[in-house]
Amino acid sequence: MAEHKLVGQNYTTPDLVAKVTGKAKYAEDFRAEGMIFAKLLLSPLPHARVTRLDLSAALAVPGVKAILTADDLPAAADAVNDNGQLILANLDGEVALTNEPVYQGQPILAVAAVDEVTAADAIEKIQIEFQPLPFVVDPLESLRPGGPNARTKGNYWNIPAPAPAAQGGGGGRGQNPPRPEIRGLKFTDAEFAEAKDGRLPVMREAPEKWSYGDLDAGFKNAALVLDETFVTPDTSHQTLETRTVMAYWQNSKVYVYTGTQSTAQTVLGVSRWVGVDPANVVVISEYTGGGFGSKITGAISLVIPVLLSKKANAPVMMRVSREEEHYIGRGRPGVRGRMKVGFSKEGRITALDMFSVSDNGPFERQGDCGNTGVISSLMYQPLAMRFRGISVLTNTPPRGPQSQPGGMQAAALMEPVIAKAARKLGIDQVAIRRINAPVGKASFGPPAGPKAVRQYVTSAFVQEALEKGAALFKWDERKARSGKRNGSKVRGVGVAVSTYSAGSVGYDGLFVIKPDGRLYVQSGIGNHGTASVSDCHRVSAELVGVPWEKCEVTWGNTAKNLPWTCNSGGSQTIHAMTRAAHAAGMDATKKLREIAAKDLGGRPEDYEVANERVFRKGGGAGMSLAKAAQRAIDLGGAYDGHELPKDINKFTRASATALAGQGLMGVGKDNYPHDGQSRSFVAGFAEVEIDVETGKFHILDYLAVADVGTVIHPRAVGGQILGRSMLGIGHAIGQKWVYDQHYGVALAKRFHHNRPPTILDAPARMQWATVDLPDPETPVGARGIGEPPVGAGCCAVLNAISDALGDDVFRRAPVTLDMILTALEAGRPTTEPLTAHI
Amino acid sequence: MEEKTMTADTPNRVSRRNFIKGVIASGAVVSSAGYLWRSSALFGQQPSAPGSVERLITLNVNGQDRRVDVLKQETLATTLRYKLGLTGTKLGCDRSECGACTVLVDDVPRYSCSVLTHTVRGKKIVTVEGLAAADGTLHPVQQGVIDEQGFQCAFCMSGFLMATVGYLKTNPNPTRAELAHGISGNLCRCQDYDKILTAMMRGAENLRKA
Amino acid sequence: MAVIHDVMPAFELFQPASISDALTLLNRHGSNAWVMAGGLDSFDWLKDRIKRPSVVIDLSQVQALRGIKEQNGGLEIGAATTLTEVARHLVVRDKFRLLMEAAELVASPQIRHQGTIGGNVSQDTRCWYYRSGWTCYRAGGNICYADTPTAINREHAILDADRCVAVNPSDTAPALVALDAQMVIRSARGERIVNAEDYFIGPAVDITRMTVLAPGELLTAIRIPSTWAGAQFYFEKVRDRNVWDFPLLNVASAIKYSGQTIERIHLVINAAAARPLRLHAVEAAVVGKPRNEQTADLAGRIAVQGAQPLRHNGYKIPLMRNVVKRAIRGGGGGTWTS
Repeated sequence: MAEHKLVGQNYTTPDLVAKVTGKAKYAEDFRAEGMIFAKLLLSPLPHARVTRLDLSAALAVPGVKAILTADDLPAAADAVNDNGQLILANLDGEVALTNEPVYQGQPILAVAAVDEVTAADAIEKIQIEFQPLPFVVDPLESLRPGGPNARTKGNYWNIPAPAPAAQGGGGGRGQNPPRPEIRGLKFTDAEFAEAKDGRLPVMREAPEKWSYGDLDAGFKNAALVLDETFVTPDTSHQTLETRTVMAYWQNSKVYVYTGTQSTAQTVLGVSRWVGVDPANVVVISEYTGGGFGSKITGAISLVIPVLLSKKANAPVMMRVSREEEHYIGRGRPGVRGRMKVGFSKEGRITALDMFSVSDNGPFERQGDCGNTGVISSLMYQPLAMRFRGISVLTNTPPRGPQSQPGGMQAAALMEPVIAKAARKLGIDQVAIRRINAPVGKASFGPPAGPKAVRQYVTSAFVQEALEKGAALFKWDERKARSGKRNGSKVRGVGVAVSTYSAGSVGYDGLFVIKPDGRLYVQSGIGNHGTASVSDCHRVSAELVGVPWEKCEVTWGNTAKNLPWTCNSGGSQTIHAMTRAAHAAGMDATKKLREIAAKDLGGRPEDYEVANERVFRKGGGAGMSLAKAAQRAIDLGGAYDGHELPKDINKFTRASATALAGQGLMGVGKDNYPHDGQSRSFVAGFAEVEIDVETGKFHILDYLAVADVGTVIHPRAVGGQILGRSMLGIGHAIGQKWVYDQHYGVALAKRFHHNRPPTILDAPARMQWATVDLPDPETPVGARGIGEPPVGAGCCAVLNAISDALGDDVFRRAPVTLDMILTALEAGRPTTEPLTAHI
Repeated sequence: MEEKTMTADTPNRVSRRNFIKGVIASGAVVSSAGYLWRSSALFGQQPSAPGSVERLITLNVNGQDRRVDVLKQETLATTLRYKLGLTGTKLGCDRSECGACTVLVDDVPRYSCSVLTHTVRGKKIVTVEGLAAADGTLHPVQQGVIDEQGFQCAFCMSGFLMATVGYLKTNPNPTRAELAHGISGNLCRCQDYDKILTAMMRGAENLRKA
Repeated sequence: MAVIHDVMPAFELFQPASISDALTLLNRHGSNAWVMAGGLDSFDWLKDRIKRPSVVIDLSQVQALRGIKEQNGGLEIGAATTLTEVARHLVVRDKFRLLMEAAELVASPQIRHQGTIGGNVSQDTRCWYYRSGWTCYRAGGNICYADTPTAINREHAILDADRCVAVNPSDTAPALVALDAQMVIRSARGERIVNAEDYFIGPAVDITRMTVLAPGELLTAIRIPSTWAGAQFYFEKVRDRNVWDFPLLNVASAIKYSGQTIERIHLVINAAAARPLRLHAVEAAVVGKPRNEQTADLAGRIAVQGAQPLRHNGYKIPLMRNVVKRAIRGGGGGTWTS
C-alpha cells in the first residue's frame, strides 16, 4: 500500500448522518409489540443475606407479569475461550441477581410489568428481610490485621497461575487455567504499623509478585532513592448511555438489543450468561453510547431482561437508571502504591520496588493491580525491578477494565515520583523521561516461560514523541515562566509519558464485491464511538481499488453475517481488524488477478488491481470489478465463497457461507507474522494556572503526541487522543467515588457528586499530534490509541500542579482545591493519605 | 384506547362525543399504551380530581400539532420518546445533569427529562428530528458535525445540537469560549469536547452563511 | 432508604392560573400538596420516591409570578422569574450586578432557563445523607449522619451548625441578602414581607426547614430596594466543576465608599452554614477603614472566628478567610488567563 487513497484520510463515517438526525437507534430506542418493562430491586446493604422473600403482594398487583430472582438464573458455566482454553466457571464470580448481595446496589430481583410505575409500585410491595453480614469498602481496612473480609471466604483471589503476563501475551496458549478461589490475607502488625504515618504498608508475601535484575545493586548504585506512596481514585465509567437492554425470544432464538463494544463477541457472552447455544443468540447493537471498557461484550445484567422475557413471554425493556448504572455499570479499581525508586545522577532508574494494592470490588480479579507493575516496567525500563501486589475484594460495585486499565494507575503512581526526582536531581522533566524511555523492541514485564524470557514490544518511539511534543508545546519557553506568581495565580508545566496494549492478531475479514461494482463489507466491530467499525475496512477498500462512496458497511446485527472479530477492548481493534481487512483484501486481490488471467490471458501476477478495475500492469487489458464479480459467481468455488479458507473461525465460516454466491468474496484470517507485543505510547504536556487563595486551578493548555503507528483516520485518532486524555484529566482534577465507611454505602451517585469533567473543565486549548512512524510488524502499520492518552492526560496535569507548587501538596488523585489549599496552609499534604473513597 | 378510559379521565364538562370528535379531527391519535407509565388497562388508578389538568392535550412538536394522552407526572422526554416516537432525544441521567435530553421549548434549550409535559402545552417544541429541512437538507449546525466528524459515541449529540442551536439564537457569532459556556450544560462522556466545539463552531459559521 | 428510585409515583396535577387559585389549592390540600416552580429540586425528591405528595401544584401558568418590575428605584422580581431572565435584565445588570453574577453561576444554562429565583433561594439542602432519604434530624429523625466519625462531610457546615451540619446551596441567596432584598410571602391569610436575611433559617430555629416559608405559604416576589444600586460589588463562587456544581463556598459583598474609605458594607457568605450568613462582625470592623490589603486581612481573620471544622471540611476555613479578603480587596477571583 505504497500510496494511500483512503488510509490516513478524513472521511464521513457511514453512521454519522443517522447520529445527527436522531435516527440512530441505541438500545432504548427499539420497540417491540407487547413490550413490557423491568425494574430492579437493589440491595440497600453492602453485604447481607436475604432471609425472607415474599413476592405475593407484588405478584398480585395488576399489570405485573413476572418476577425474576437469583433462583431463576442458570448456574455459572464453564467456557472455552478464543485460544481453545477451557475456562472453569468461577463459582464465586459475578451474578446478575443474588440472594447474598456483596455490595450496596447489587440487584436482588427484577419485576416485569406493563409499565415502570406498576413495576416500581410492585417492588415496594415485596416483603424482604436481610441478615446483615460483615463488610468493608476500603481495601486497607480489609488488609489490616483483624480487618473484615468482603466475602465470607476471604478478601482476595488465589489464582495459581504463571507470572502475570500483560494482555495479549503469548504464553499459556492451550493450557487450561485453574479455577480461582477466594482466600484471606492480612498484613502483619509489624507491616501495618507504617500506615499510621500515611505510608502504604508493604506486604512481604503478596499474592502477585515477580522481579528481574539485581534490585539491591540498583538501589546501592543510585544517586537518589525516593520512597513514595500514592493513591489513585476509583471512578465509574459513566457511559452516557446506561446498560439498558431490550430482549425477546422468537422460535427459540433470543434477540438482545444492547450496547456493546464488540458486536460479534457479545454472542458468546450472551450464550454463556443465559445458557443458550450461540447459534440461537442474535445481538443487535447498531449504536452504543460509550463503553470505555465497561461494555466489552455487553454486560452480565442483560440476562435479566432476557430471562424475564422468557418467563413473561413478552419482550422486556430494562431501562437502567443513572443511579443503577453507578452500581452495575463498572468502575476503575483505585490503586494505592508504594514505590521505592532508585535514580542515577543522570536520572536513569536503576531500581524500582513497587507494591500495589487495588480495590477490586467484590468479584473477579481485575488486571489493574498487576498491570501497574507491567506497564511501569515498559514505560520507564528500570534496570532492576520487583513488583508485588494484591487485588483486594471490597463490598463496592464491580470493577471492570476502564480505558488503560492498570496503565493509567501505573502512570499516576510513577509519574509524580519521576517528576520529583527530576526536581531533586536538577534534570529537565522531558530529559528524565527521555533517558528512561523504551526504545525499539524494548522488554517489559516479568521473565516468563521455561526460558524465563521477558516479553518485548514491536517498536517504541517515545523519544520521538517527547521531542516533537517539547517543540510543539514550546516546552522551554513555558518552563521559564512556570512557578512565577501573578497576583494570587501561579503557573506550572507538566509532562508525562504513558503506554498500553494496542493490538491483537488472528481475526477474520469478510466482504463481497457484487456485480453492481460495489464493495459490501461485513463488520463485527462494535459501534461505540471509536469509528473503527468503518475505519478498519477502508484498508480492504483501498486494496481492491474501490472508492469509499461505493462501499457499504454492514454492522450492528449478528444475524447479518458478520466475521469473527476481536473484542474492542484494550485498543486492539484498529490493529487486529486492519490486519484482518488486509487479509481479506489480499484474498480478493488474488482472486481478481486469477479471474483476469483466466479471461484475458497471462499469469495472475501480470495483473494489478486499482481504480475499480483489474488490469495488466502498465495499463493493458482489464475488466471492471463489477464484471469480475459476475465472473466470480460464474466460476463459483472459492471465488464467490462456496469454498472457504480452512483456517477461518467457525463464526466467519457460517457468515461467509450465507453470503456465498453473491459476488467475489474477500475472506481471510490474519496470519501475518507478528513478533513483539503491540504497544502505543503517548507523551502529554500541560500548563496549569493555580489560584493559591482558593486552591482552584485551570488547565490552560494541553498537548498529546502519540506513537500510534500509521494513522488510519486522523479525526478519529485525534478524538481518541484528546477524549481519552480528558478521561485521564478527570482523574487528576475531580472524579472519584465517595463511600461512608461505617454504613458501606455510596454517597456519590450523581454526576455532580462523581464530577466527570464538563466542557468548561477541559483545557482552554487542546492539541494532538502523532510521530507518524508505522508499526514495523503489521501490514498497515496501524495500532490502537484508546488507552495510553489516559495516563498521559492525568499525569501531565498532576505534574504541572507540583511544578507550580512543589512536591508537598498532594499524595493522591484527584487533586481538588481543598487538598491544595490545606497543603499550602500547612506546608505539607494534609488530606487523609490512605482512606479510600473520600 | 378503551372507552372506559376516556370517560374515566374526561373532565365532566367535555362530553364523550366531543372528546372523540376532537381526537378524530386531530388526525393523529397517539397510542395511549403508556410505555413507562400507567398503561390503558390501569388508567383507573391514575388519580383525577376536578379542576386538575386534562390528560389529553395538544403539543406542538417540530411544527406539528400532536394530540397526546399525557399522565400527570409525565416528563417531556418520556412523552417524546415513548408516545411520539421521537427517540432522538436521549435520556442520559433523567436528573437534569447531563443534557442528553435537551430540546428547544419556544427556542430555549431545556432538559426535557425535567419538564412536566403538561407545562409546555401551547409552546413550540423542537427536537433533533425537527432540525433538518423537510427535504432532508441538514440544519447548518448538523452539517457542522458532518464537516468535522464531531462526536464519538454520539449519545450526547442530539442534546448538544439542541443546546447549540438554542444558544446561537441568542449569540449567532460566538467566540469558541463563549460557545463553550453556552453549551456547558451538556456532558460528553467520550469527552470529545475539543472536536465538539470545533464542529459546533463550524456549524455556527454554516448557519451565518446560510 | 428507598430500594427503588427513578420512577415518579403518580400524583394529581393542578395548574392554577393565578396566585389566589394557587393559594386556594394549597389551603385545600395542605400537607398532601407539593409546590413546583422550575421543578429542579422537586424532581429529585419525586423521582427518588422520598417525597410522596398526592397533589402537585405547578406554578408555571401563574403569569403574575413572572417578570421584573422597576419599583422605587429598585426592582420587584416575580418569584417564578427564571434565573436567565434575572441575569439578562438590564436594570439588574446596570444597578445590581451582584445578583446577575450570582444568577449566572447557578448550575448550567438549561437550569438557569428553567430554574426560578424563588426556587433557587428556597431550595432544600444538598446534604447527600439527607437527600438519600436517610432519616436524619432534618428528615425528622434523631441523628446527623454527616457528623459521625466516618461521615464524608467535605461540603458541610463550618458555622452555625446545630445537630444538623447541612448547608444552604443557593448562589442567589447571599446576593439577595447583601442587597437587602425583601421576600414577599402570601398565604390564604394574607401577605407578609420578610427581610432576605431573616428568610433563611438555621437548624437551631427549625431543623427541618431552610426558610421561614410555612405550609400554605408561597413566596411570590422578591423586592430589591434602591439602597445598593450601583455599589461596588463582589461575588465569587468556589466550586469543584466549572459547571453544574453547588458552591463549596460563595461570597457576596456590596460596598459603598466615601473616597477610599468603606462607608457601608454588606458581606454575606453561603454554603458555610444552613443559611447565608451576613458577617456583621466583619462589616462593623471594616467600616471606616480604607480598602486595602490590611483591611482585607482583618476581614478574613474576623470572618472565620468561631468556625468549627468537621473531619473533611477544614479547608473551608482558609477558603472562607481568603474569599472574604477578596470580597473586600476586590479582584483576583474568577478571572483566569485564557
